[in-house]
This record gives sequence, C-alpha cells and structure tokens, in this order.
Amino acid sequence: MSSTPLVVDAVVIGAGPAGLAVSACLKRAGQPHVLIDKEAAVGAAWRRHYERLHLHTAKKWSALPGLPFPRDYPTYPSRAQVVSYLERYAEAMQLEPRLGVEVTRVRREGSRWRVETKHSGSYDAAAVVVASGYNAVPERPSWPGLATFSGPIVHSCDYKNGQAHAGKRVLVVGSGNSGAEIAVDLWESGAQVAMVFRGPVHVVPRDAFGMPAQRMTLLLSRLPSKVADRLSEPLRELTVGDLTPFGIRRPPVGPLELLETTGRVPLIDIGTIALIKQGAIKVYPNIAEVAGSQLRFVDGRLASFDALVLATGYRAGLARWLEGADAILDARGLPREHGRESGLPGLYFCGFKNPTTGALREIAIEAERIAATLSAQVRPRHAQRPPQDSAGGHTHG
Amino acid sequence: MAESRDPGREARSRGSAILAKALPYEHRHWHPVLLSRDLGERPRAVMLHGRELVLFRTASGLGALGNTCPHRRARLSDGAVAGATIVCPYHGYCFSRDGVGTSPGTPRMQLNAEPYAIEEAWGALWVRSAAADEGLPAPPLPALDRPGYRHIGTLSHDIDCPLEPLVDNFSEVEHTPTTHALFGYRQDSLASIEVSVELAPDAVRVINVGPQKPIPRLVGRAFGLSPGDTFIDDWTVRFAPVHIIYDQWWRDPTTHEPHGDRLHLGVFFTPIDRDETRMFTIVATSRPVGHFDVAMRAFVRSLVALEVRLDRRRVERLADPSPDLRGTRLGRFDAPLRELRKRIDQIYRGL
Repeated sequence: MSSTPLVVDAVVIGAGPAGLAVSACLKRAGQPHVLIDKEAAVGAAWRRHYERLHLHTAKKWSALPGLPFPRDYPTYPSRAQVVSYLERYAEAMQLEPRLGVEVTRVRREGSRWRVETKHSGSYDAAAVVVASGYNAVPERPSWPGLATFSGPIVHSCDYKNGQAHAGKRVLVVGSGNSGAEIAVDLWESGAQVAMVFRGPVHVVPRDAFGMPAQRMTLLLSRLPSKVADRLSEPLRELTVGDLTPFGIRRPPVGPLELLETTGRVPLIDIGTIALIKQGAIKVYPNIAEVAGSQLRFVDGRLASFDALVLATGYRAGLARWLEGADAILDARGLPREHGRESGLPGLYFCGFKNPTTGALREIAIEAERIAATLSAQVRPRHAQRPPQDSAGGHTHG
Repeated sequence: MAESRDPGREARSRGSAILAKALPYEHRHWHPVLLSRDLGERPRAVMLHGRELVLFRTASGLGALGNTCPHRRARLSDGAVAGATIVCPYHGYCFSRDGVGTSPGTPRMQLNAEPYAIEEAWGALWVRSAAADEGLPAPPLPALDRPGYRHIGTLSHDIDCPLEPLVDNFSEVEHTPTTHALFGYRQDSLASIEVSVELAPDAVRVINVGPQKPIPRLVGRAFGLSPGDTFIDDWTVRFAPVHIIYDQWWRDPTTHEPHGDRLHLGVFFTPIDRDETRMFTIVATSRPVGHFDVAMRAFVRSLVALEVRLDRRRVERLADPSPDLRGTRLGRFDAPLRELRKRIDQIYRGL
C-alpha cells in the first residue's frame, strides 16, 4: 500500500454484532472512528449460516446496547430475524460501516497502529478494535483415507438446508451446537442421520420448566464455576440425564469449569437429544478411517454414508493478519483479554468469547467497556492533534 | 465429582454387584472371556470389569447373560441348561439365550436377564453387551486373519495386574533382555535399537529393529534362525477392546533376507476387575504344516506361554501397579505409553 494512510482515532474491524455494538457505543461516547468489514453487508456470518439456525440464547439477554429485539420476535429469534435486527441496529444507531474493505495486515507503527487493506488503502489509528469473530476460518479435520470418500463433504459454513440430502445417509461430524442443529435439520428433511461425538460433551437443555435455562445460568454465573456446576447438576440430571448409553460421554469436570479451562461450550439442546434417545439419530465415536463410502469408527464399527457434514467449528484466524498475535493469543488462537486492552496498547478484542450466559450478551458488555476505555485513552491524544486529522470519523454529540 | 458420576464404579467400590445398574462402558467392546475348551455342558461364570456373567451352551447355540437372576438374585451359573434355556437353581426360572425369562409359578410374569452377544472364534469365547447399540451396526470381532499364517493355539493367563501397566509391559521391548528367555533384544545393544512409533486415531503402531539376543540352539534351529539375526518386532495396539497384534520376524543383518518362521500374535486384555486382568494370547505362525506338526505346535505354544509367564512374574511384582503415569520417568522406549493411555481412556473406557 503506497498511498498515505488515512489518519483516524480508531478502527473497528468487522461489522457483525460485535463490531456494530462497539461502533454504536463509541458513537454514543462521541468517539470518532471507522467501522470496516470485508463483506458487502453487515452481519455477513449470520447471512451465511444455515437456514434453520435460531439463536440458542433468549432474545431478552441477547440484544446489543441501545436496541432491544422487536417485541413480535419469538424468544429465540431465527437467523433471518437476527440479520434484519442487525440491519435495523446499524440504521437506528446511524452507523456508517465501510463495506468491502478487507484487512490484510494490522501492525504496530511507532506508538500507533497501521491497518492495511486490500483495495482501500490503509489507516493510521491510535486504537484498533478487532471484532472479526471467532468463526472466521472453518476448521476442517482430516482422517486417514478422507480423500477417498465417495460422496460430498460439506463444512457447516457451506451447509444451507437438508433438501439435497433427503433419503440419504448423512454423517454429521461434531457435537457442537451447529452439529446438533444441522442433524435435526437433516432428519426433518428426511435424511438418515448419524452424528460423530469425537469427545465428551456437556448437554444442557435450552429450556427447562417453561423458561430459558439461560436464566439459571445467569444466576449461577456470579458463583465460582465449580460451585455453579455442582448446583446445576441436579437440573441437568433431571432434564437430560445420563447419556452414556447413547454414546454421549460426560466430561469429568462440570460445564462451566470446562469452558473456563478449555473453552469448550456445552451443547444447548434444541431437540437433538430426544431424537438420539428415540434412535432416530445414531451416535458414533470418532472416525478411524475412511474408504470409499465406508467409514470405520474407533470402536471398530463399520457403516456407509452418502455425505459428510463437518460441523467441526472454526478458528478465529487472527494470527494470519495480526502482527505480534502470538503474544496476546492463547493456544486456541483466541485473545486472552476480552473487552479491555489486550496487552498491546490500543488493541482491543470484542466478541471472541462464548460464555454459557450467551455470546451476544457478552458482546454488549464488552462493547460498552471498550468504548469507555478506548475513548478515555484516545481523546487526550486526539485533543493535541489538529482537528483535520480525524478523517473518517463521524462525530455526533 | 468425576467419581460420583460413574454409578458402576461407585457400586463396585461398595462391593455390590446388585447396585451396579449402569453398564460399564467397556462392556460394549468384544472381549474374549474364556477359552472355548473350558466351557462344557455346565454353565460357567466369568468376570468382566467386576460384573459376573454366565456362559452356557444349549442345543441351539451359545448363550451369555448377566449372572444374576432378576427374580431373587441367585447365581444362574449354579443352575443347569435345559433345552434352549438356562434354569435358575433357586426357583427354577428359565432364561433363553437372549435373556427372556419365564417363571414356572407365575407364567404371565415378564422378566429379563441382562443379555450379551456371544461368539466363538480363535479358540475363545467372546462377549459384548448389545444394550447400548440403539440400532447401530455391531462392531465386528477384531480381525486376526492374515494370509500365510496358521492359528496354532490360544492361551489364557490370569494376571494380578490392572489393565494399563500390563499393556505397558507389552508395548515396549526394553524389558526383553532382562525378563525374557528367548525372544527379544541383547542387553548390550539396547541403545542401538531402532524404535519408531506411528499414531492413528484408533491405533498406535511401534516397530523395533535390533539384534536378536542369544537363543538356545534347539529353539533357534526349530525357528530356522542363525546367530546374530536381526529381530523385527512390529506391533499395533488397538483399543476396542484393548489388544495388540504382533508381527515378529527375523532377517539376515547384512542381506536383509528373511530368516525362519514368522510369529503372528494377538494379545487381548480382558479386565476381570480393577486389579486383575485375564490375558488371551492367540498364536499363529507362518510355518507350513509339516512332519511332527502336533509336537511342533505344542512346542511353539509352550515357548510363548513361557514368555508370558516371565512377563507375569514382573508385572505382578510392581511396587505400584497404579495406571497413573504421573511420577514415572519415561525413556525413549516408553514413547507410546502416553498415547496408549489417551486412547484407552477415550476409546476403551469412554472417558
């Protein structure tokens, strides 16, 4: 990028829920900034997700700062409703995302940050908020012989609906929330569905006794995770029970403790478990080997499938464009600090956490906090510079 | 917390087989539990992971059930086979091979003994619980057939050692100079033995290459070996159930030309309970049928049995037979051990 960089106070990277929330909070704080996204519309990840997707958390605890979900939305809004909520949010908050701006590199330049983009020049900013999402790069595991598989192999990021799979034998690999929902979607589309649970997983009901289980999680979240796990155990026992007979193993530590130590989120059950208990969805352990249409599993079982859906998650992929990422990312490639300065001055992350209390709720909390710290940090420096330097910002209030 | 979630383990620690309602995860794998020849007309009780099972032969085939009569908890193995059923010795309740019970005094009563699938193969009886299958295809028996080999016998040894340290013993060759009489490596060349480890999701393969230790002339000649031959010990550990398939052969150290007979061993580890393991060794050789075949087969079997007894002597004398590897100092021959633990936990025990 040879052109002179545009000098701004702050750059927010990503116009999904996290970026929009941060941008709205910065704007409210009167902090000039630019909001950029590589895609052509806000909430691109939500537009791409499979059609059946609904929020796994209740709308009441999932709204972004300043705008609740519409009254006529159901408790768990659909993917399309989330997309239109995000559009409405950008509009209502008068945000001005610069779309189609793809970041190629973010690096330190003296005491400031340089954000280089593919076709849109570069920015020279005092602060950068990374809100590009933890699901940027699909994780595609491999098994011996996978290349010989005779049918289609679809990652959940490319899965739309089950239409093409009616009557087919489909194996969904991955026991996360998308795997579990896609399995139900496939079953509803008339496919013969099996799932691979590669490791132990906690299952929590989405609703218990007529209310979202998230309410309970929110109450428990104030307690130490070990205590909360202990307290919620009877509820899980009552609503989900022991799933070992169905091939779903329980991790040795409770869901909150597991999340804290490994980042593994519990499976929020939207009906998959009932289908598994009925025998409508079969459960296999990890794949050992693939040969043509036949798969061998680690327990020695053999079965044939027409298609594989890899619901094996994503990586944030930050290290590819963020200079000095090693120092501030953990072993899973996710930032160690959320919602506050990251260990590098002026660098913030928002929306990389997925707590049991809800990722969107966490985004709202982080966004407010980032806006407060960032503007307090940037403004004094900003005041010393001539005003024409604050290009690209949209100052109100 | 982890302990309290496993009702089976909890009940076992209380010493009660009755309270143990939940099926141990391990029961879903095929395990050899008894040599074929040890099951005659009378039912036999066997232990698998602290649970008693009864095996029996009826006119219409083999049967395997939980050994507890669901009526009043008598041992079915104390009863007798009548027609296609096993009859409880206490009140005469009858159970078919798939566990369906009938009461002589209350004909309308419905009761079931815990059913197990049973197969006879390689001179052993194999069982697994199908209770958790939920319409899944049953896993096949481990594949042991290999072209060019002939099954010459199956051995069974009860070893007073938990599963993991026993598997460890059979997963390294560093003990062979000190512990074994015949097959193994020379103590003075241990440092030069090549060890390679290949990992797969469901298997750990180890290949060792080095000079064969001195072997009595008679044995060497019977196997067609020359002094100084290179011994190749190539094995793969799998975990559903835990077993090791060995391919053992010799070659000329300079020309690399194979020498003598090859041995093909399948070693299966069937936990009796937490402390004791029943080990089955299925022996096959590449030796074609020849003169003195019966004597030769008995000879090879007895050599393998000797080596297993020598291993047993060591593992039963461990100061600490705990499966926990923490606090041990592992060398280069022990490289596979952690990988084995991981797979035993995940695949075999479902942890």
